[in-house]
Amino acid sequence: MDEIQNKEQSTSTHKIGIYLWIWGLLFVLSFFSYMVDWFAFQGFLRWTLILIFMFLKAGLIMAFFMHLYWERYALVNILLWPMTAIAGFIILMAAEAKYTVFTRLLYFFIGG
Amino acid sequence: MSDNSLNNLPGGFKGMSHDMGSDQTAFKGVQWGKVMMWIFLLSDTFIFSCFLISYMKGRTSTVVDWPNTSEVFSLHVGGVPVPLLLIAIMTFVLITSSGTMALAVKYGYEKNRKMCGWLILATAIGGLTFVGMQVFEWSKLIHEGVRPWENPFGAKQFGSFFFMITGFHGTHVSIGVIFLFIYARKVFRGDFDNGKRGFFTTMKSDYVAIEILGLYWHFVDLVWVFIFAFFYLW
Amino acid sequence: MSDEYNQKNAPLEAQSSDTISGTSGTPSKDIDYVRPAELPEQDLYHGHSFITKWIFCQDAKIIGVQYFLTAVFTGIVGLVLSWLMRLQLGYPDLVPFITAEHYYQFVTMHGMIMVVYFLTALFLGGFGNYLIPLMVGARDMVFPYVNMVSFWMFFIAVCVLMASFFVPGGPTGAGWTLYPPQAILPGTPGSNMGIILMLVSLSLFVIGFTMGGLNYIITILQARTRGMTLMRMPLTIWGIFTATALAMLAFPALLVSCIMMTLDKMLETSFFMPTIVQAGEVLDYGGGSPVLFQHLFWFFGHPEVYIVALPAFGIVSDLISVHARKNIFGYRMMVWAIVGIGGLSFFVWAHHMYVSGMNPWFGFFFATTTLIIAVPTALKVYNWIITLFRANIRMNTVMLFCLGFIVTFVNGGITGIFLGNVAVDIPLSDTYFVIAHFHMVMGIAPLMVIMGAVYHWFPLVTGRMLSEKLGKWHFWFTFLGAYSIYFPMHYLGFIGVPRRYFEMYDSPYVASATGLNEFITVAALIVGFSQLIFIYNIVSSLSIGKPAGKNPWKANSLEWLTPEVPPAHGNWGEKLPVIHRWPYDFNVPGAKEDYITQTTPPSEVISAEVEKT
Repeated sequence: MDEIQNKEQSTSTHKIGIYLWIWGLLFVLSFFSYMVDWFAFQGFLRWTLILIFMFLKAGLIMAFFMHLYWERYALVNILLWPMTAIAGFIILMAAEAKYTVFTRLLYFFIGG
Repeated sequence: MSDNSLNNLPGGFKGMSHDMGSDQTAFKGVQWGKVMMWIFLLSDTFIFSCFLISYMKGRTSTVVDWPNTSEVFSLHVGGVPVPLLLIAIMTFVLITSSGTMALAVKYGYEKNRKMCGWLILATAIGGLTFVGMQVFEWSKLIHEGVRPWENPFGAKQFGSFFFMITGFHGTHVSIGVIFLFIYARKVFRGDFDNGKRGFFTTMKSDYVAIEILGLYWHFVDLVWVFIFAFFYLW
Repeated sequence: MSDEYNQKNAPLEAQSSDTISGTSGTPSKDIDYVRPAELPEQDLYHGHSFITKWIFCQDAKIIGVQYFLTAVFTGIVGLVLSWLMRLQLGYPDLVPFITAEHYYQFVTMHGMIMVVYFLTALFLGGFGNYLIPLMVGARDMVFPYVNMVSFWMFFIAVCVLMASFFVPGGPTGAGWTLYPPQAILPGTPGSNMGIILMLVSLSLFVIGFTMGGLNYIITILQARTRGMTLMRMPLTIWGIFTATALAMLAFPALLVSCIMMTLDKMLETSFFMPTIVQAGEVLDYGGGSPVLFQHLFWFFGHPEVYIVALPAFGIVSDLISVHARKNIFGYRMMVWAIVGIGGLSFFVWAHHMYVSGMNPWFGFFFATTTLIIAVPTALKVYNWIITLFRANIRMNTVMLFCLGFIVTFVNGGITGIFLGNVAVDIPLSDTYFVIAHFHMVMGIAPLMVIMGAVYHWFPLVTGRMLSEKLGKWHFWFTFLGAYSIYFPMHYLGFIGVPRRYFEMYDSPYVASATGLNEFITVAALIVGFSQLIFIYNIVSSLSIGKPAGKNPWKANSLEWLTPEVPPAHGNWGEKLPVIHRWPYDFNVPGAKEDYITQTTPPSEVISAEVEKT
């Protein structure tokens, strides 16, 4: 096929340093999230820390180990937009769970 | 970045509208297999999300107390309970194997066959260690009387969700380990250098297969990040 | 795309043929320019033996036909089950073996078969496999082997489903939504092996479908031919694509609920099972949440409605355009409506659950989103009607089915607006009004499209035309018959006849309901038997049908432009086609003929005032 160009694909290699950096950061973040439990933080602080470390770790893995940072926006957007459906599901189910426990407490313990 | 024609395309959102408006491919320069893995992982993300959402709903709406995970999952080191020790080690093992996988992908693209093969093997052994530790964790809990249908520490759903979610994740890890061993063999044999055709396909092998395998492996790690946060730390 | 990039001569630069005002080169060469291929030719596996050619075949067209036939077979089983239900409702105790248990099993299996194993498999597996590679100009699906495995997973899933008819206790009778706790408790028919086989079968279906779905999505996104931009794809492909994307994201919820319910049944976990007292005895279950299953199920179930509807929307747009000899009105609007419906469909699921005891505020949220999703749907209906307006309509069987679809869909859609509002839904829920609504909107309407599509594409698949005369008889029997079945059901719903009741006994509305029920039953039997006309038409046309030749409908889209009809393995012979326009250039002013195929280069129709696509 003479018309074929760009047989070479996009994925080029990156310097080893960046992988080692990310690797190190992941260890540090995992250590931090373990420390959240170690020091037994409670309440709002615990949740904030857990979520921050979780999203940082997930973001680093996706962006660098899975190369999403280097991918073109077409792929990135197609992959990330569907997550809004999951976000909606989570929010609505959180509300639903609260309501379920409310009705249970109301009927089981207080008595409808 | 090596010099290739993709660099001539616009980037960012302008690039996105350009790619989407062009003919032939929507994801420029991304191989079929890689898109397949990404879309599959998107679908798999929805599976794990549904599991975790069910867990959230189940845990929040139960009126029986949920067990304190940092006590249930603690290990006794010299008589002192250390909370979540095993889980912490498992997390570190999995992250280590994720790092070796990322390097294997890098060396694969550099056509460094030996290095790539050894790193994949290291990843597989990391995965195997993880599964082994999970088996230990399961057997410990089973000895303590936790079952999918009951749980001496509190709500019944604790055992159910624990075994189901970690079991499903462990299955993913085990499948990954099997494929890692298969691909380590393929790399050492040189399939990706001479473009040998696969068993099920007429397409030529290429080092992009290592990246596809890597995507799967990192995804397994990614899921563990969420399970660690929501199941063990909550 | 923006002009500044068109000027560059970058190798990967997209340059579509609409740049008539090109700057360099001779005009005829320039306006026909399509940028070169990005990807090497696909190597295909060519089967040699009977088994690799026809059974474990890797050709998407054969796989499509395999899917089609398997789905039609299960559909016929579903049809027979519906007759048995109707016989019981119209003439109670006429058939002695239809007991209450059997009735519920028939209801359940009819629903599940029709929604999942018939319509989903037929549209995506059948039409998707056959049409996607042809319409986007690919040689085959991108992963032919995975595609073959996908069909056989589906086949095994169907076998497991059918096996549940023969196990002790029979198939499950929990209703097609399989709501726990009753689905897995003794007292419900088939609560042992029946429900387990159903859950296993659904899980297998999801796994098999995921393999197929990956193929459809990636073929459409990454394996289009030169010149085929996304906005030049036929709407059929847009419908199938969006539906597949929905399926990839919605089926996980079904898989998860299946796994959890299987564990509830087999390991006695309590995901969905609250504390239950049965016959004075407290069961081992406790603390689970039945409403969680409903949420998971409908998070799958509502997108599933659109998985069935969107391919139908897409296909009917193409059929209308071809047989009205006019471009589809508002192509881009149609595309965005399909995508918009797909996106919104993940935020409307709980309108199936207004009476389930969920958080009362949800009714407000989901009624709003439900009414919003009606907007793009209505846009599509308007566009079909405007396409027909002052068109050169061929009143053949295909067009009749398209018109039947529009009427039925409008009918079902409007009753959907009733049911989307909480205040109206509460008195109407679980009545025959609901049955009438969803059979109109996602039963009869997609079926009309399937039948129209079969009349349209039969010449492509077999090389012979179906009989028009028999086709018209078939249409009128089906259309009028379907209306005589479902129109009275709206009335039954208004007077409050509940669905899923085995018998009405001495209810106060028995007087007016009995006659109608008998009428509906007779109509259902006639409609069912009239499908024999269709089957006879297909079977006889295989051998005595008029030879179709190439492109009998004078359509523009790629599937009719293969070198051989029916297309051979690899579809395109030596060279892949090159696309210069959208598939809707009908009756273009200034063109010699009333259609310009997608492969016609602009230099051949220089005087035609074509749309820029």
